[in-house]
Amino acid sequence: MTINRLTRRLFGASVAAMALMGSYAAASAADLNALVWCDHSDPNLLKPFEDATGIKVNVKEFEGTGAGLAIVEQSQPGDWDVMVIDTVDVRRGVERNLFDALPEDQLPVAEIFPEVLMDQHSKFDGKRYGITEKFGYNTIGFNKSKVEAADMETLGVLTNDKYKGRIAIYDYYLPVMGLAAMAIGKKTSELTEADLPAIKEVLQKMKANAKALTDVVASQTALATGEADILIGGGEWVTAGIAKENPDLDFSIPKEGAVLWSQSLAMFKDSKNKDNALKFIQYIMSPEGQARLATSSCYWGMPASKAAALDADQKKILRFDEQPEFLKRAQGYPAPSEDLDKKMQDLWTAMIQGQ
Amino acid sequence: MSQASTSRIGWASVTPALLWTLVFFVVPFVAMAVMSLTQKEGGFSLAAYAQFFQNPSYWRALVNSLEVTLIVTALSVILAYPFAWILAFIVPERWQRLALMLAVLPFWTSYVVRSYSWLLVLAEKGVVNSTLVNLGLLSEPVQIANTRAATVIGFVHFFVMLLTLTIFANLKQLSPNYRKAATDLGASGFQTFIHVILPLTLPGIMVGAFLTFVLAIGDYITPQILGGNNELLMPQLIMMQIGRRGDFASASALSLILMAVVTLAYLACARWLKIERA
Amino acid sequence: MTRVLAILYALLLYGFIFLPVAVLVLFSFQGTLFPIPPFNGPSLRWYAAVLGDARLTSGLANSIVVALVTSAIATLLGFLSAWGFARFHLPASAVLRGLITLPLTVSYLIIGMGLLIFFNWIGIPKSLLAAGIGHVVINLPLCFAIIYSQMGDHQATIERAARDLGASELKVLVLVTAPMMWPALFASFFLSMTFSWDEFVISFLLTRFETTLPVEIWNLLRAGLNPKTNAVGALVFGISIILAIIFELVAFRKRPQ
Repeated sequence: MTINRLTRRLFGASVAAMALMGSYAAASAADLNALVWCDHSDPNLLKPFEDATGIKVNVKEFEGTGAGLAIVEQSQPGDWDVMVIDTVDVRRGVERNLFDALPEDQLPVAEIFPEVLMDQHSKFDGKRYGITEKFGYNTIGFNKSKVEAADMETLGVLTNDKYKGRIAIYDYYLPVMGLAAMAIGKKTSELTEADLPAIKEVLQKMKANAKALTDVVASQTALATGEADILIGGGEWVTAGIAKENPDLDFSIPKEGAVLWSQSLAMFKDSKNKDNALKFIQYIMSPEGQARLATSSCYWGMPASKAAALDADQKKILRFDEQPEFLKRAQGYPAPSEDLDKKMQDLWTAMIQGQ
Repeated sequence: MSQASTSRIGWASVTPALLWTLVFFVVPFVAMAVMSLTQKEGGFSLAAYAQFFQNPSYWRALVNSLEVTLIVTALSVILAYPFAWILAFIVPERWQRLALMLAVLPFWTSYVVRSYSWLLVLAEKGVVNSTLVNLGLLSEPVQIANTRAATVIGFVHFFVMLLTLTIFANLKQLSPNYRKAATDLGASGFQTFIHVILPLTLPGIMVGAFLTFVLAIGDYITPQILGGNNELLMPQLIMMQIGRRGDFASASALSLILMAVVTLAYLACARWLKIERA
Repeated sequence: MTRVLAILYALLLYGFIFLPVAVLVLFSFQGTLFPIPPFNGPSLRWYAAVLGDARLTSGLANSIVVALVTSAIATLLGFLSAWGFARFHLPASAVLRGLITLPLTVSYLIIGMGLLIFFNWIGIPKSLLAAGIGHVVINLPLCFAIIYSQMGDHQATIERAARDLGASELKVLVLVTAPMMWPALFASFFLSMTFSWDEFVISFLLTRFETTLPVEIWNLLRAGLNPKTNAVGALVFGISIILAIIFELVAFRKRPQ
């Protein structure tokens, strides 16, 4: 091939490919665009829905409500249809006028564990803006064969020197600072700036004993590979998925309690596919959707619906039957104001940097 | 051909590249600078910079970054120079191509995966620890994964290869007479090296070292995967601003500060970094 | 003695360089869930899992398209500008050349951040196109620098001869200059491809649903620990080696000796 023909071909190919890339960008008008956490990206969860309805689900993962809302703010209105959000943060979306009310009569609200529905965070002016789909605990995850069970029954383990170098900390500031607050007898729902110095002390001691701060997967890796024996902030979401491979992995709800996490689905006001969005939410809340979401490959968690189609083994791993007792002792996720949130993040950064 | 039409062709050929750089590099850069000075609600503010200079944990990220990057650059040069020398002068000419190919080969897997595989290698139950313990060379596993050492190893792995290539190219360009002098002189070979070869290859080393510095100080993946979040480097702090807070002003300000540091490094070795025609 | 030491040193470094890749490939054949010793294999289950994962395969396709297209554009723009600066006396040439090479000295993270903010302001949505633009930004200076450094004066003489024989400027460029510059063009294209193929942070910041393989691998890493990541890495490794061999053969054949 001569050079000029090659050049021309290359150029032609570039133009064609650019057009192709452009069309990618423009596609997805009739699809469903979902802003989600990693558990919603599991093909085992999405594929049955796509096959049954012919709706293609495009997912974008994010971590943290602040980042999720930032993504929405950068997008054009109508770019997004549904969003996964911490139940305690549904308010932030409503305040920004992002979400639409959900039709309660078309959703299985009655089957949801009442403690995780959290109407005070998800219902405004009598309308529901978020529906809880999954929950669990940020508590103490551990390897039974390596630690003393009694030590795991109290939050004192956060700063217990006995386990120095055997501890990993889940790298998310809200739940772990919630645990630190509970360890010194504070309520997660009543945190103020004045509590931060005391929390900081706990965090510093905790960091001194810890080997690493780990994200979701690194947390699983650390426990599974024996890199760490205790995961602060862990729970069923880290141990349940790998329980089959390593049955020694377990979690406890200490006497002081644990932090309850709860994730909700919300629908965008500007969505152009509200019918599809509602179908998707209905699918996730259905017994099959709930079971698949609860056992998603990224992390397991308790289904919000009591009707979830889980088998006996799965229920046992999730400790389904002990939930009423757990829920009694659990406290909600801290839901700081934006100003306090920033201060908490700065405190977290300072802890990582050893300051 | 007239002078005017000549220069018209000249301009026509350089304009696309200039425009691309202007629109997609200079303008975004200005946008970022403006963003770093803008409050969330709009309006001018120096808050993003003030935050960096007032908050010791932000400062610390820059210090960490500089420490790690300098260690990485120095280690990579020290390891790569003898390696490049061996490849250039000791390995027979006809095997050199293959030897170089082999050195580059492992970098043909995705770099995200490369960091991840170092984690597997260095983990407490990983290959290195379990082999050494099984052989009785270690009584208990050493903690390397999730430390700064792991980050440094991950970086050095890549940059040794890069520096070997640049230094190799440089050594090959030396006149054979120098090489002859260096090898013939035997005992005084070391002095020849210090006084003749090293100065001649210095530009190559500096180019490689500068590239290492720029690429390492801006990398997010390696410290994020290998460092275990026991400390934060600048890119991690920047990504945290976007990922957790959606705080673009702060992310922009930190990026510009990082860039200022790189510019200082550039000025420090600018005289070796000229791109000239052959 | 020196020789023995030298060989020993080289072997040690090769060992260091190959260690992670060897471990990666070995544990991609792991039979169980964790890619750490003991090795229980060999098994192909994780390869099957990778090939059955639509996100990974589409990420692979996207990466190939982006690498080819952006490298072609970067090489073309780099070649044109290198030729323009080498052959014509343009005012402020040094400054403008400096401008083109400037992005070389800036971290990818910063280039990506700038484009993210800029595109956001002018309303260009996140997409592969946006990431592709970023890839040209990082590769253009490289292509320019490589090609410009190879523009010798003897080539100018040949170009002048062609011009004197009545060839138009475009013909000279395409039929005379480009073939003479083939090794440099090839090297630019090849290096650009490598950088684009492996680039993470710009694609991470600038894409939305459709994304490149490194970002999909990152997502995979964050979505659960298993040897699937090893299998993807090993596959990428294999594909890259095959490509390298092809390019090597092509380059050898075209290279004027």
